[in-house]
Amino acid sequence: MNYTVRNQGAVREIDLRGQLTFEANDDFRQIIEGMETGAFTDCVLNLESLDFIDSAGLGLLVLANNTASRSRVKLRLRRPRGQVREMIEISEFHTIIACDF
Amino acid sequence: MNAHAGPSAAPQPSGSQRSGGQRVLLGQPRVGVAAALRRGLGTIGVRNVDLASDREEVTALAEATRPDLALLDWSLVREAPGLIESLRAGCGVRDLPVVVIGRFASAAERGTALALGATDVIARPVLRAELIARLRVHLENRSLNRSLQEVIRSLQAFHTGAVQRMAIARDMQLGLLPDAAEIRELEKRYAIRLDSHFESSSELGGDIWGARAIDGTRFAVFLCDFTGHGVAAALNTFRLHALLAKIDLPGDDPAEMLGAINRLLVGLLPETQFAAMLYAVVDTAEHRLTYATAGAPKPVIGIPGHNLRVGESVGLPLGVSADARYRNRSLDFPPGAFLFLFSDALFEARDWEGRPFGYAGVLDLVHQCSGEGKLPALLERYFAVMPRPLADDLTAVWLTRAG
Repeated sequence: MNYTVRNQGAVREIDLRGQLTFEANDDFRQIIEGMETGAFTDCVLNLESLDFIDSAGLGLLVLANNTASRSRVKLRLRRPRGQVREMIEISEFHTIIACDF
Repeated sequence: MNAHAGPSAAPQPSGSQRSGGQRVLLGQPRVGVAAALRRGLGTIGVRNVDLASDREEVTALAEATRPDLALLDWSLVREAPGLIESLRAGCGVRDLPVVVIGRFASAAERGTALALGATDVIARPVLRAELIARLRVHLENRSLNRSLQEVIRSLQAFHTGAVQRMAIARDMQLGLLPDAAEIRELEKRYAIRLDSHFESSSELGGDIWGARAIDGTRFAVFLCDFTGHGVAAALNTFRLHALLAKIDLPGDDPAEMLGAINRLLVGLLPETQFAAMLYAVVDTAEHRLTYATAGAPKPVIGIPGHNLRVGESVGLPLGVSADARYRNRSLDFPPGAFLFLFSDALFEARDWEGRPFGYAGVLDLVHQCSGEGKLPALLERYFAVMPRPLADDLTAVWLTRAG
């Protein structure tokens, strides 16, 4: 996985690309750390270019969401596609993390 | 309890102590030279020096004292060309450093000493500082070699112990699954056939499945896959197994059952760990299958005379939120029908080119193999194109009602 970060005022937008799996752990934890230290109130994870997620990746989303809640940051998922969308729907993750399909 | 010393128990060589405790065998017929060499060794802290003045004494002392270094006079080796070999054999140390010192008539003679097994040759006359420096190098090498061998031995012991402990743990994990007698009993009682496959990506896995009687006409079957694999995920399967043994769980209502297990797991599992689970109840009198899912892969259902059906699957994985609610799905499940459950490894696993096998690939396999007892055939086709070991734990359960 790789990602790019854009800060627009109080909103941080992060584009995720590639595969969100256990191998992405270190990179994704940097994103999560950013939520604790950044000066923004909203964070959008753009999943449009993410082509694969597994259960470890879903675990990272849970961690991100819990960290965001503790840091009073509103987290949103945006535009999951293909297998990623299917995983989010099967696992009903859109019921715990706001998601724009 | 740990009966094995860890790798850190290996001796740690340090500074001048390294040669201080070491033992040197001096093979030297001339008393004056021997005394000078002993003094030289004393300056680098070597106090254990055993003096042998002829070749018989050399081999006898080597055997008795097991030295760290032998320093032999060239005259002894020249007279007995097998001396170095028998010295090493005598003390049982094949790589014992043997330094030959003496007045060599030519470079060819020094070559002969090396050919006879000497680690190094020192031609006299030699500066005392050079002599000491070279002996120190050999003693330090010896010390490091011994430490390394200790570390290797200690790691080997640790590894052997770990493998044995893993084997015991793996047997315990397999003991969580229904055994052949339990499966036969269920097959007989409910007129079904139950095939299964359990394959961990490492010694231990994060999957568990089970089947249990409810009453005279109903039984339950489930498959659960904890995030990750290896020891941590395996510990969670033991947790679940213990929870399922609680008698007050609503085992005849899949949605209620998942809700109850979820409430028990929330708080037990760390933040990033959860479980995907499907729990199904088959009613052989009403010919119905009722199931609920928590983030589990969609099951495949086959009913005679109908197209293959992909069951719906929607539900938060277990352990994520105490507020999660699960839904029952109910469908006809007449005699001859089958239910195929599997963990996500089956379609997420990647082929030799790195492409995921895909859910559509699983459906193709089921089309090719559907029918009673076709799980082994399906897996044979699967592993013909998929490399082992898989990156994730694979569990598959194929349940067929007798037609």
